[in-house]
Amino acid sequence: MIISLTVNGEVRDVAVEPHYLLSDVLRDRLDLTATHVGCEQGICGACTVLVDGQSARACLLFAVQMEGHAVTTLEGGAPSAELRALRAAFHTHHAQQCGFCTPGILMTFAAYLRDHPDCDEAGVRAVLGGNLCRCTGYGPIVRAIMAASAALREVADV
Amino acid sequence: MSEREAYVGQPRPRREDHRLLAGLARYVDDIKVAGALHAAFLRSPHGHARIVSIDVTAALELPGVVTVVTGEDLAEDVTDLTVAPPIEGLRPTSMPVMPVDRVRFQGDLVACVVAADRYVAEEAMERIVVEYAELPAVSDMFAALRDDSVLVDEALGTNLVARRVHRAGDPEARLAAAPRVIEAEFHQQRQTHAPIETRGCIAQWDPGREHLTLVIGSQVPHPLRTQIVRRLGLRDSQVSVSSPDVGGSFGQKIALYREELAICALARRLGRPVRWKEDRMENLLAACHAREQWCRTRAAVDDTGRILGLTLEMVEDFGAYCFYPANYISEVVGIILTGQYGIADYGYEIRVALTNKCGVGPMRAPMAMASWVMEGTLDVIARRLGLDPAEVRRRNMLADQALPYAMPGGETLLDVNCAETMETALDEIGYAAHRPHDDGRYLYGLGLCNVVESTTYGSRFYKNSGIGGSGHEAARIIVEPDGTVSASVGMAAAGQGYETTFAQVVADGVGVRPDDVAVTLGHSDTSPYGMGSRGGRGATAGGGALYLCAAEVRAHLLRLAAHRLGLNATDGLGLRDGRIVWVRAGGSEETGLDVADLARTAYFDPLALPEGMRPGLEFYRTYDPPPMTFSNSTHACRVRIARETGRLEILDYLVVENCGTVINPLVVHGQQAGAVAMGLSGTLLENVVYDQAGRNLSATFADYTIATVADIPAIRIIARATPSSRTPLGLKGMAEGGVMGAIGAVANAVNDALSVVGAQVTCLPLTPMRLHAAIHDGIGRAAQGQEG
Repeated sequence: MIISLTVNGEVRDVAVEPHYLLSDVLRDRLDLTATHVGCEQGICGACTVLVDGQSARACLLFAVQMEGHAVTTLEGGAPSAELRALRAAFHTHHAQQCGFCTPGILMTFAAYLRDHPDCDEAGVRAVLGGNLCRCTGYGPIVRAIMAASAALREVADV
Repeated sequence: MSEREAYVGQPRPRREDHRLLAGLARYVDDIKVAGALHAAFLRSPHGHARIVSIDVTAALELPGVVTVVTGEDLAEDVTDLTVAPPIEGLRPTSMPVMPVDRVRFQGDLVACVVAADRYVAEEAMERIVVEYAELPAVSDMFAALRDDSVLVDEALGTNLVARRVHRAGDPEARLAAAPRVIEAEFHQQRQTHAPIETRGCIAQWDPGREHLTLVIGSQVPHPLRTQIVRRLGLRDSQVSVSSPDVGGSFGQKIALYREELAICALARRLGRPVRWKEDRMENLLAACHAREQWCRTRAAVDDTGRILGLTLEMVEDFGAYCFYPANYISEVVGIILTGQYGIADYGYEIRVALTNKCGVGPMRAPMAMASWVMEGTLDVIARRLGLDPAEVRRRNMLADQALPYAMPGGETLLDVNCAETMETALDEIGYAAHRPHDDGRYLYGLGLCNVVESTTYGSRFYKNSGIGGSGHEAARIIVEPDGTVSASVGMAAAGQGYETTFAQVVADGVGVRPDDVAVTLGHSDTSPYGMGSRGGRGATAGGGALYLCAAEVRAHLLRLAAHRLGLNATDGLGLRDGRIVWVRAGGSEETGLDVADLARTAYFDPLALPEGMRPGLEFYRTYDPPPMTFSNSTHACRVRIARETGRLEILDYLVVENCGTVINPLVVHGQQAGAVAMGLSGTLLENVVYDQAGRNLSATFADYTIATVADIPAIRIIARATPSSRTPLGLKGMAEGGVMGAIGAVANAVNDALSVVGAQVTCLPLTPMRLHAAIHDGIGRAAQGQEG
């Protein structure tokens, strides 16, 4: 069957079977490989993308459910202010080592920082609990997200 | 800032980050190969069974299926893996690429489907009909070592695959004569690496060139190539191994696994590219496990807590198949156990058992248990004798003047700074004011763990220990015609930031800017043959080889520069950020020449070179590190345990780290914190569980829990450095000690807290359930004692 969805701002018609996962369709049919698959069970969070602006596990969605919806991946078009701030802070704070879990964390917090401009560390930690990282011990990730949030507030205050 | 150490030591953010953060990284499964077929493996649902028959007819009928093969089919194409190094007490083992008539663990290979896409391959897999005759399984290593046990490998006639004994002095005589003998037990549970990127590979056979290319996340591209070549009957020049970005490994991506070899064989047989991506259940069930070890120490002590003699008994569960010599992991625990303590009379006996479980391999700090066992033993001694644990450590610790020290395990300890490291930690954690106590709701404890971390193993270590293999590493540096520098070593990265740190080393060695140094890694054709990334050898072996090679590059460039300047010798000339300068007191003066000028001469105007200098600027250099380098650290933590729930909280976690010269503090801090986190995750949560029939009960991330952000406390790291006296730049390595220290510090803190109620734990992980039981057993015992 052919579904029509918006991916990174472009309308795409894709031929899929009903049991195809969104994560597989993004990666294998649309060549958007920034979305990583770590568990296919919704636990590790590496495959997190935005669906209509809200973070969602691409491995827990069937592609057919995306008919008429908008999906944003890490590759997606012009990066938001949140994504730009997160990238800069992740680099400065050494918040990724192997980098495999990183796209899911960036997408999760691109949405979270947009919706919670005044977030505190407890809030960030609660949300980050949905992403597994095996390299860093999470400390640098928390610091980077807090720094990104502070940088965004600074820009907003100007 | 000295001329040679301008960039080494700088906390430079990593150059790898851009592609990772932009979503432009290329992990195996991101790499498209036109026309590639997809493989899926059918695995045994049983812990132990005979394969009576396999019917693949229905699978082959599914449109899109290209082939289905069994162990019998592949046996023609691939020779068996025989692990038989000449090590006393080690029994040789052998395994085919896929089992032919018997499966030995749940997840063992039964058949492989190759199809047009992964969905079809998996559907076809479900159509394969296998008749099994289930056999009794043994999933407990102690049961496996009993005479009446089921045999995991019938060819061996026993499950005792290795038994190793070592003696220094006469520990038994010390135990017999000692005023007191104190015993302690330690049981570490089975764990697995669980990189967030599972295994996977793409194999392509070029029938015209008769050449195999394997794209695979690997720590060791060249040793992997050697394995492939041997098993497939090819020559080294017929195989290329390319390791792209790797999404974590932690020791899992070293061995050549059977799935990967089967994919290579199938690509050659079919003449078409074949790819495989492991799913998470396969990774947890059947990739590689680790750490399942039991230890018992017996210490002969005097009344002051001084250890007069020590023995270690160790049993390790190696699972169903040997991808490594079975003594390889536990032997290092035996060798380094005594660490920084002066114990002349010492012996160990190691027994390694086969069981009907997934095979095991090294996992970040494979020798991690050593620190917990040694430091836990010291705590038990202190508790039994009513002494202060830190004081017992002081009484047994080697004085700085005793270094270098011939350890009773056979290695030489040097360039460590143990006493000062521990005292700093004691001050920082507030040791003097601490007493284990109970406020009615919580039990409070403090734990110490001194760590001596064996980081880099040279060839001499492998030879001495009988493990075999080389510890050398190889570097290649090319000054390109435009004056930029390309550098490579045989190591492949899995998140360590080698591209950044090695560029800093090469920049200092040659005298150029890091931004002008490209570091390419992970391809067996373009990197020199090296032993790859494992243990803590990256900085010392890889960085050391590069630094030595870079020094040769610098000397060559300076000779060429001197000639261009009309000089007979290089005296007074230096290389700074790619420019040839006169080195003057208090500064330098430009000569007007730079590396690009010299490169142009070397490549395009060879007649302008000095007499005897050949055109071109390519350099190759190998380096074999000392037998072993050691870093040391002290971990200290304060914990509290809720009496009602057994919940453990880490209130403060501190490490005083004493590695060698630090190349990049940002990266080193990241490695140290990451290692502590992995150690904590293993100590608190992770547990591979098998039932008695050999069924794995923990093959999803919901059951095999690894630490989330909620489980890892703030980790305070106090960075110290004691450079090695025997390696280039004083490098030592440091990325595993965090695991070693975390296990010991937390377990010791918990036992300190539990001592308040007269309880103790000797088994990991330290789950709330286990701690709750320990607390209430302890209270129960205490109550009975009072009544009696």
